[in-house]
Amino acid sequence: MDVLVQLILNGIMLGSMYAIISVGLTLIFGIVRVVNFAHGEFLMVGMYAVYLLSLHLGLHPYVSAVPMVLMLFAVGALVQRFIIQPLLGADEHIQIFATVGLSTALINLALLVFGADLYSVQAPGVRQPLSIGGYTVLYAQVVMLVSALVLVAGLHLFMQRTPLGRAIRATAQNRNAAQLMGVRVDRIYVIAFGLGAACVGLASALISPLFPVTPTIGTYFVLTAFVVVVLGGMRSMYGAFLGAMIIGIVDSLSGYYIAPDLKEVVYFAIFILILIFKPTGLFGFGRGTE
Amino acid sequence: MKVLIKAALAAGLALSAAPSFAQDAVRIGALYPFSGGLALLGDESFRGLELAIEERNAAGGLNGRKIEMVRGDAVDPNQAVGEARRLASVDKVSVIFGTYSSSLSLAATQVAELAGVPYFELGAISDPITERGFKNVYRTNPTARIFANRMVDAVAEAVAPALGTDAKSLKVAIIHEDSLYGQTVAGYQQARAKEVGLNLVETLPYSAKSVDLTPVILRLKSAGADVVLQTSYQNDTVLFFRQMKEQGFKPKAVMGAGGGYSLRDTMQAVGPENMEGALNVDFTQYRTNPKAAPGIGEFVKKYEAKYGTAPRSGHSLANYMGAKVLLDAMASAKDLTAPAIREAVMAVDVAEGTTATGWGAKFNEAGQNERATPFLMQWQGGELLTVFPADAAVAEMKTGIGAE
Amino acid sequence: MTVRVSLSEAPPAGRLAALMAWLGNPRVYTSLAALSLILVIPIVVDSPFIVHVFVTICVFAGLSTAWNIVGGYAGQLSLGHMVFYGIGAYTTALLIQHFGLTPWLGMWVGAVVSVAVSVFIGYPCFRLRGPFFALATIAFLEVVRLLAIHFHGFTGGSAGLIVPLKLGWTWMIFQDKINYLYIAFGLLLLTLAISYAIRSSRLGYYLTAVREREEAASAAGISNTGVKLKAVMISAALTSLFGSFHAMYLTFLEPETMFSLANSVSIAMFALIGGLGTVAGPLLGTVLVVPIAELARGWLGASANGLHGFVYGVVLVLITLTLPGGLAGTFGPRVTALIDRLPGRRVPPDREAPALRRMEGTPGEPVLETRDLVMKFGGLTATDHVSITLRRGEILGVIGPNGAGKTTVFNQISGFLKPTSGTVVIYDAEGRPVTPARADEYARLGVGRTFQIVQPFGKLTVIENIMIGAFMRHTSVDDARAAALRIARLVGLLHVKDVEARNLPIGDLKRLEVARTLATEPSILLLDEVMAGQNQTDTQKMVELIRTIRDTGVTVIAIEHNMQAIMSLSDRIVVIDSGKVIAEGDPQEVVRNRRVIEAYLGEDFVDAQGL
Repeated sequence: MDVLVQLILNGIMLGSMYAIISVGLTLIFGIVRVVNFAHGEFLMVGMYAVYLLSLHLGLHPYVSAVPMVLMLFAVGALVQRFIIQPLLGADEHIQIFATVGLSTALINLALLVFGADLYSVQAPGVRQPLSIGGYTVLYAQVVMLVSALVLVAGLHLFMQRTPLGRAIRATAQNRNAAQLMGVRVDRIYVIAFGLGAACVGLASALISPLFPVTPTIGTYFVLTAFVVVVLGGMRSMYGAFLGAMIIGIVDSLSGYYIAPDLKEVVYFAIFILILIFKPTGLFGFGRGTE
Repeated sequence: MKVLIKAALAAGLALSAAPSFAQDAVRIGALYPFSGGLALLGDESFRGLELAIEERNAAGGLNGRKIEMVRGDAVDPNQAVGEARRLASVDKVSVIFGTYSSSLSLAATQVAELAGVPYFELGAISDPITERGFKNVYRTNPTARIFANRMVDAVAEAVAPALGTDAKSLKVAIIHEDSLYGQTVAGYQQARAKEVGLNLVETLPYSAKSVDLTPVILRLKSAGADVVLQTSYQNDTVLFFRQMKEQGFKPKAVMGAGGGYSLRDTMQAVGPENMEGALNVDFTQYRTNPKAAPGIGEFVKKYEAKYGTAPRSGHSLANYMGAKVLLDAMASAKDLTAPAIREAVMAVDVAEGTTATGWGAKFNEAGQNERATPFLMQWQGGELLTVFPADAAVAEMKTGIGAE
Repeated sequence: MTVRVSLSEAPPAGRLAALMAWLGNPRVYTSLAALSLILVIPIVVDSPFIVHVFVTICVFAGLSTAWNIVGGYAGQLSLGHMVFYGIGAYTTALLIQHFGLTPWLGMWVGAVVSVAVSVFIGYPCFRLRGPFFALATIAFLEVVRLLAIHFHGFTGGSAGLIVPLKLGWTWMIFQDKINYLYIAFGLLLLTLAISYAIRSSRLGYYLTAVREREEAASAAGISNTGVKLKAVMISAALTSLFGSFHAMYLTFLEPETMFSLANSVSIAMFALIGGLGTVAGPLLGTVLVVPIAELARGWLGASANGLHGFVYGVVLVLITLTLPGGLAGTFGPRVTALIDRLPGRRVPPDREAPALRRMEGTPGEPVLETRDLVMKFGGLTATDHVSITLRRGEILGVIGPNGAGKTTVFNQISGFLKPTSGTVVIYDAEGRPVTPARADEYARLGVGRTFQIVQPFGKLTVIENIMIGAFMRHTSVDDARAAALRIARLVGLLHVKDVEARNLPIGDLKRLEVARTLATEPSILLLDEVMAGQNQTDTQKMVELIRTIRDTGVTVIAIEHNMQAIMSLSDRIVVIDSGKVIAEGDPQEVVRNRRVIEAYLGEDFVDAQGL
């Protein structure tokens, strides 16, 4: 029983990490309708930047969150403007290849600049365990969970309450209609892609204390993030959040009760089953087969 | 258009196929992963070979002939095959040295064997490399089985005495990443543990790409493991130590099989206080008693002089030692044909405790060095010190994991 | 370099003469000459390293060509294709290990296993579109790889499986490397030949149709899932053969390399760079990239770790931005034009159109009946107990205000929508009632339909669009082309027959819609507003065309807003409003019906007119 509670707790913490990454991926997919295969590499870029800021300026990773969000927003916006935008009219194939190419280029760029070594950020205090009734979580994980909740709530308010948010929602629902209503769709796409990447910027600051950065760190997260996005119904932030929690818990439980080397098999199997039998996602928030 | 490309290509390749090299130089191949995910330790391994060859050239080369090195970059098995083939046929090397990674070595040695070019393996540990009845493959370093046996035996020979208990009363668990390296070593560990009658309570494979090892740790905790044998790369080692601490899991001993355990980066990422007491079985590292490994200090000095940093791992040392032994053999061979080299390698007889790694050299029919045994090391105060066997030790073995 | 030989090229009587004639075509002989270089260069240069580079080229070009059948022709972006390569490799190696079976047989066993797996993966996944299909294939690849690692007792796990070095042709392991090249080249030729055969056959056209527009493809009688499955089965079998061969070449198998995601992406990239969906593209891409990568590694690899991967990634992004058609797609036509100026035999003249299908059955008898069709979309009832009887040989007009539910009725009687309740019955020539299950079955049964919003296959030419329809009754490309030409002449599209459909004006697109449907030689023709967007003359021509069609024995049911045209054309009229049939009968009768006028012009108007 104790183990079960600890595993679930652990799964929720893991889930909140997936949530921040997946919400960004969902934003990009839901609005721009592009699956960003370079999403994990955005995370990697952010984590190297956090490392550099910590090394040279002595910034705590959490302080770096602000510049990271801004930097990744810029990266995302630029990628949208110069790579995705010109391909919006092209086949989906081409868009996928473009982001795959970007991902390959970024991983190898990191290898070129930083080598294959592993860099770890000093983050005093945040890796301390916090004991709650005999169960253990880390301060850094609690921060992650709170950030994930604040992020989803904040994005919700932004989408509902601000004119820009409404324009984004309108564009997501019907691009042509939004255009007719005077929304500058191209600009909305740039902003949406930027926001999706900015989520990863936040994630990179929060994850850095927990994982050392290597050129391939993004690939550790990105396939899981895709699973989460599909589980959540592709378009919905709330779906992505819940999906992340479920995958986190599944990851944790199957690693213990089935076998640690088969946990990926478990959630990939869930992923395939959801895609095939319930393409609207587990909670019916979206559509996968359109 | 394609015709043009092909013509250009053929011309280019034909040019490179007829290289002009010094009349009397001996060409040898150096096949390592210089790019891709294995690049770091591939390059580190290569440095050992490079130093050995420079040393040899400075001392007059191979019976008066200079040694010239041709590099081959093997990122995956298909490229290993291609590069081995290029070295053997285009560059016409006399021998090939390599390879660090076992899967690359398995692929490349098949090529070398069929081409009749001697292949000197200095670092890959997969046993089958020298178990396929090949006539031209030789290995100087210890194999996965030797690693695994050393680890399991160390539980009885070193850990149990230090804890003051009987080895059979200890609950032993094996965890390992599930690629070639982890699965191979863990397989031999299981077999050995059964053979010597240890109480093996868990064997848990996991993916080295895991972002969370908490379930593994909770399994170990539930099983009440006293001794954990881990075969791991760098990321998963860091994750394991961090999360072990977070979950308050304190086994009596943790022992790694080289890999991530030997790297300074790992210790720094985990924190020296958390890595304190972690045991490790690996190629000889630098804090080893020079009496058991003569020349180790000189190697470090040469390395630092050439590359400007301290050695990043023991791979360079192992490659250095292996290359020296085999270059000596080449020097004693009557010519550089495969049969002559085989004869010379089979005649090698170097006693243990006389090389920079402390290993001896005596090759069996299969080409495996039977005098290579890894030492047991321990992280103490942020340094990886050899603690067992006694004559190679520079420190006493401590018990427990993590600083108090 | 192109292998795209003209489509109407078929060997006439006399095998040898046909072969000689085929070889006499400049496109054929230049292609074969270029291909033979893959064999000639290594033999001439005589260096095992060159042989290795060319074996690698053959393997990856073959894998990429096989991938292209699914990824290019069918437009299903599989990024997990190495699953079949791995299955082929492991099956062959395990059969050698356990049963001492020669790889020459083992590779076919592997291919059979791969085909079975491809159906298992493909059948459910083909419902997914674009990126989701790609993600699902990645997931399958990962699952298989992880299982191969986990069940190491069976597969050898990560430690790998070593193929015993038994030399000789029986074991496909050679001292002399050139033998590998012969096998790899043979496999490549086989793959190219199959890829070419598909491209220039009905299946090739069908795959393009399905890739472009699934609905219009169904209307042309194509079973979408069926043709995609065919494509993936062929592709899986070929991929698997290369896996088996490559395992013998590498003599060492491990899950990491055999089920590699990176290689799955690479083979797709080669096809993209060379030109997706073209026969020569994947080969071209591989021939360009593989040697450059091999050389670049030599120049850059060791000194600048990661540089060549970085350059590779950047080049890919640039290609997507500047040459989305790939090399073959961008430069292919120009090169083909140059090649065509070489001496040799030309494309043969068009052949005689095959006989039309004879319409059977007695005029006046019911040919299609709907009973109480109800279609609900959420809370909205689009059709409300619609019962219509269509009689053989008549022209039935369907009119009604916008949004009345006319098209929804059409969608139900052509199988595109499944009614919420009620039935559709079709009577065959003998008067037996049938209710098909899917749209493509309706089409094959003789219910041909056009779409109100035109659905052309934009990247195909006009004649190819019509051929997609004609293939339903004529399996051979020549017959289909001849039949399509006849239709093009009939509907007045002959002058634009080689124009890509996306470049046509709306009037021509409407006629193309009719032409494609007519090409299926339907016994019941459903026309959905084919006169909209046509000028006066064209409308008149269309009316005459419909009459001509009816005179050949075809039953016509037409939705139309052009009152004058539909009234003069129809034998009977059905009026639908708010999903209900409100009037039915003789055109003259219907226009005087009070409820019809109400429906069109509102109650007020009716009252004001005192009707």
